[in-house]
Amino acid sequence: MNDAQTIAVEVVGVEQVTPLIKHFKLAPVGGGSLPVFSGGSHIIVVMRAADRVHKNPYSLLGSPSQLETYEIGVRRMEESRGGSHYMHDRIVVGSRLEIAHPVNLFGLDKIARKHVLIAGGIGITPFLAQLEDLHGGAVPYELHYSVRSAEHAAFLERLRRREGERLHLYHDSEGQMIPFETLLAAQPLGTHVYVCGPAGMINHVIDTARSCGWPDSHIHWEQFSAPPVGDAFEVFLARSKISVHVPHDQSLLESIEAAGVEVPYLCRGGVCGFCHTRVLELDGELVHNDHFLSDAEKAKGNSIMPCVSRAHCKRLVLDL
Amino acid sequence: MLVTGIKSKPVYAPLQADTRGRYHLMLGMGVGAAPLLRVIAEMGAAAPKGLQNTQVLFVPDAGAAPAESTLPGAAPAEATPAGAADAGTATAVERFRIAVGNVQAFAGTPALLGEFRSTLEKSLMGTRLYVAGPESFIGLVMKIALEFNLNKDEIRAEECGTLARRVYCIHCRATTENVRTNIVRCVECDRWLLVRDHYSRRLAAYMGVMADAEAPGELPPLKEVFL
Repeated sequence: MNDAQTIAVEVVGVEQVTPLIKHFKLAPVGGGSLPVFSGGSHIIVVMRAADRVHKNPYSLLGSPSQLETYEIGVRRMEESRGGSHYMHDRIVVGSRLEIAHPVNLFGLDKIARKHVLIAGGIGITPFLAQLEDLHGGAVPYELHYSVRSAEHAAFLERLRRREGERLHLYHDSEGQMIPFETLLAAQPLGTHVYVCGPAGMINHVIDTARSCGWPDSHIHWEQFSAPPVGDAFEVFLARSKISVHVPHDQSLLESIEAAGVEVPYLCRGGVCGFCHTRVLELDGELVHNDHFLSDAEKAKGNSIMPCVSRAHCKRLVLDL
Repeated sequence: MLVTGIKSKPVYAPLQADTRGRYHLMLGMGVGAAPLLRVIAEMGAAAPKGLQNTQVLFVPDAGAAPAESTLPGAAPAEATPAGAADAGTATAVERFRIAVGNVQAFAGTPALLGEFRSTLEKSLMGTRLYVAGPESFIGLVMKIALEFNLNKDEIRAEECGTLARRVYCIHCRATTENVRTNIVRCVECDRWLLVRDHYSRRLAAYMGVMADAEAPGELPPLKEVFL
């Protein structure tokens, strides 16, 4: 993926659906249809702010059969590096944005005998599109949706109307917890579990499913990490023969792009592995923040995911 | 003429206990008892609790060729030579009973497969499958496991016993059981079929292609190859 392949879109709808989440509708500039996608897909939204370019991944939450507009839900992040604040504060009906083609890293298993969907907060968004595919089908499914409190339950009316008893809602504020252990210990053979939400919830679901004997191939999760902030450092790009400064609040990938060097990427959230880059020299240590490399690969220290990972060093040389 | 090196031909590995599983379902036939008893011993040493959730379905008589059903047309093409049954398997059921308690013995594969299917209907995520026996027995078990969306992380299989194949006629779609020769007459349409290594997991059978389609009557010499 690079910027030459983006699609120009216009914002045709903005709705504040909870105190923290805004729902945006995007239509292609000049009309027509947007590319086909499947439930669980995300797009990268390119925001050209005055001082920098933000590129954030957002799950598509509309129906995959409706391609006049794409719908995304954006949660205002407290510790935002600017992207979610830009969407919330600056984007209104009529604003123009660029988006990348949809990519699906969180698709449903097509031969599953049952689906168990677990969402925490804004993690509901990829499931909204998947539910469009599941609704009316022959494969049984259930949705467990945990929210802070009633006012934070985004898209609840739509879910209640469509899903009825398949929706199980839990309010943190009232001490309601998804009963992970009893839920995962009692699923029929051929069930797949999908989880999207805060890191703690994802890890808990993975650990619980494994302890119930689930093989990893039946456990699916998605979490887009925002690139964490860290120390500023210098990186030398061996093939481009340029030195790039990485400020404390900008990611390695963003800094390299700002210097005019293109790095292939898909998710920008440490999930897909597309921006995998070889480390040629390092006089300190890498700070791996991705979910792609194994612990062993991270320990080796000879490659990095520049979308979310950084370095704690004086000098880093990359094969770019 | 017998094409080899086709990737769809399944490759099995020696059974190992998977202590990450919560429930263990073991299926065996004939000499397949030995690998299963070995896994039970492994589990007893590593995670004895697993034995409480272990169930064994077993066909003691290795002389009965594995077949999918008892319907006419699916009957074994030829009988297994007498005396092929491992004398040790006569006591296998007893040995299973002592080790895990929950054992069911069946007179033949069709009865075992029926019980297997109804067991899977009731089984929960966390179940591991262990299969040991002739290749065609494993194939028939795998075929049903596949319908329940069990995948390679949940199934272990070890091949032992006869290499006789189930052969699917690509012309009339009938399956000829217990084939030991390089070419075989289709049980349904009577064509001479060349038995390929091309395997279908969905059908649990090797593909059989008309052997003399281009030169009627010209057949390779009949040889016993799957013993």
